[in-house]
Amino acid sequence: MPPWADFEPFIVSGLALGGVYALSGVGLVVLYRATGVLYLAFGAVGALGALTAWSLAQASAPGWLTWLACIAVSAAVTLGYGTLFGPALAKRDPLVKAVATIGLTLILYGLMDLLWTTSGGQARSLTLPTDNSGFTIGQITVTDTQVIALAAGVVLTVATAAFLRFTQLGTAMRAMANDREITATLGVPVRRVEAAAWLGCGALSGIAGLLLADLVALDATTLTFLVISSLAAVLIARLRSIALTFAAALVVGLLHDLLTPVVSLSNYRDMTPFVIAAIGLLVLSRHRVMVQSREGA
Amino acid sequence: MRRLNGLRLSDLTRPRILVTTFLLLFVLLVLPQLMSLYYVDTMTQVAVYSMVALGLGVLVGRVGLVSLGQAAVLAIGAWVAARLLFATSQPYLLVLLEAGLATMAVGIIIGLPALRLRGLYLALITLMLAGGITVVLATVNFPNGGHGFLGYDGGLLHIPPIRRPSFAASDPAYFRFAVIIAIAMFGLVLAHIKTRPGRAWAAIRQSEPAALAAGINTWLYKLWAFALASFITGVAGGVLAGAIHYLYSINFPTQDSITLLAVVLMGGAYSLWGAVVAGLLYQFLPSLLNNWGVSADWLTILFGIGVLQVLTTAPAGLADQVPRDLARLARRLRGGGRSKQAAKDTPAPERVP
Repeated sequence: MPPWADFEPFIVSGLALGGVYALSGVGLVVLYRATGVLYLAFGAVGALGALTAWSLAQASAPGWLTWLACIAVSAAVTLGYGTLFGPALAKRDPLVKAVATIGLTLILYGLMDLLWTTSGGQARSLTLPTDNSGFTIGQITVTDTQVIALAAGVVLTVATAAFLRFTQLGTAMRAMANDREITATLGVPVRRVEAAAWLGCGALSGIAGLLLADLVALDATTLTFLVISSLAAVLIARLRSIALTFAAALVVGLLHDLLTPVVSLSNYRDMTPFVIAAIGLLVLSRHRVMVQSREGA
Repeated sequence: MRRLNGLRLSDLTRPRILVTTFLLLFVLLVLPQLMSLYYVDTMTQVAVYSMVALGLGVLVGRVGLVSLGQAAVLAIGAWVAARLLFATSQPYLLVLLEAGLATMAVGIIIGLPALRLRGLYLALITLMLAGGITVVLATVNFPNGGHGFLGYDGGLLHIPPIRRPSFAASDPAYFRFAVIIAIAMFGLVLAHIKTRPGRAWAAIRQSEPAALAAGINTWLYKLWAFALASFITGVAGGVLAGAIHYLYSINFPTQDSITLLAVVLMGGAYSLWGAVVAGLLYQFLPSLLNNWGVSADWLTILFGIGVLQVLTTAPAGLADQVPRDLARLARRLRGGGRSKQAAKDTPAPERVP
């Protein structure tokens, strides 16, 4: 076991990573509750946004423009998918809806590999100006990007919870999570509420893509499949609780990074989300009641 | 059971069986002579991935369980086979059987807890497990002739190739061997579908509570399907090991599991032909495009569009859609000529709403 001092820097990076997973997880839960779609393309959409930002930065566009472009691209693609395929699949099983987003993932993945070819060994990177500013606690350097990542996770979790609880649109989303048909009969504009959820989720994927491109790597494959780590947190929360998603995301991020200095486990640290999700799901899946499956699943 | 035993000679002359037999003979005897070695290798891979698609097709199409981790299962089969082929001098067929059984055991161990989950949760837990297996394999590596339980030696200068059966050492011969193994696996699945498990799976796919109410042991039959799919995929892994001679963990990335599900859905999860179509989509098309100098990324995009198309308009996939569309086209061509003639002779009848 390495001395405690070795772990300290990884607490900071782990919390930053956990913050991004949390904001991704919150986006996924909100979309799932409003539309019944588990958005597996979340990572790919974020990657597309981040790569667009990189291209703009290469063309020496100002920083704020690239960040806005990243979020706008992610939000637009997500909203586009939602309006095109959301209604067509609205009555299908959640599993079918989730698999359909795998289709979008593959399209975006192929597209990114075509447009931003990785062969040739050139490594891209996206750095935010906040990487160079920061402060130290004891011996540990904390960059402002890490602070932003954790803060974004906290703020967006609280804001989303408040939004769902106190606003009209949020109430409509919660109603749709219970029953789409009944909500529609009550006069709620179902399509418009769904569109709002898609747009919000897309914007969150853009923010997550931007932060992860800086904190982890700007690479289509890495970013596309990092969504699995957020999925672990979402699964532990059973696609329902935002608070639980947040807590699980922090644990996943923290444990992942804290394993880095442990030599015997370091190679296996990428398994953290899978192991946590597997244990969480299997423990939580006890005492469940069988429900009638829908036709056409 | 009755139906299989009661297979009469007259059944053998049915057009479907005749066409299938003719196709198989063509693939086994003529095809290897016609193709360059490049395509022989490709078609061996098609045979391997048809088996993988077959296993996944049983889960998705027959029972309604979606697995997002089949590439990892394939990797386990290949790992076990490679380890046994390096460690022992057993006949290849025995190694294939052992690789299948070992993979089946892993499948059952994973399936026992995972099958308590349903639908979306089961699909995601298989994705998680596949991710975990990929991480372990990246650290453990595939056997390369080293010593010890893991059989990997990073410092080895001359890595020996994984052996093939003595009777199928050349590429065309190994292709025939792979096709025959694939036929055996298709037969195994067919025997399941035509008998009690197949009926139980069909009931479970329609509605699990109804199947339970009808007295079907849903837990047993779901686990059975999981075990069967794992066995077939494990055997496919064993065939893959001999086909490519050298195995690396980068050959089995997590995204392959996702692409596999995509091609199985596109090929058609409800029919056995769909598995062949899926194998062709997954291995033959990339080789063809590579030969033409087209980027494989276009194929990924095509698979993505295919998944969306299948899920929104054609749930039975290409294996069902293409023959139906062709039949419809033929009908329209025939009927089109006639109706033009008819339109000249008689006024069009009023359309009944």
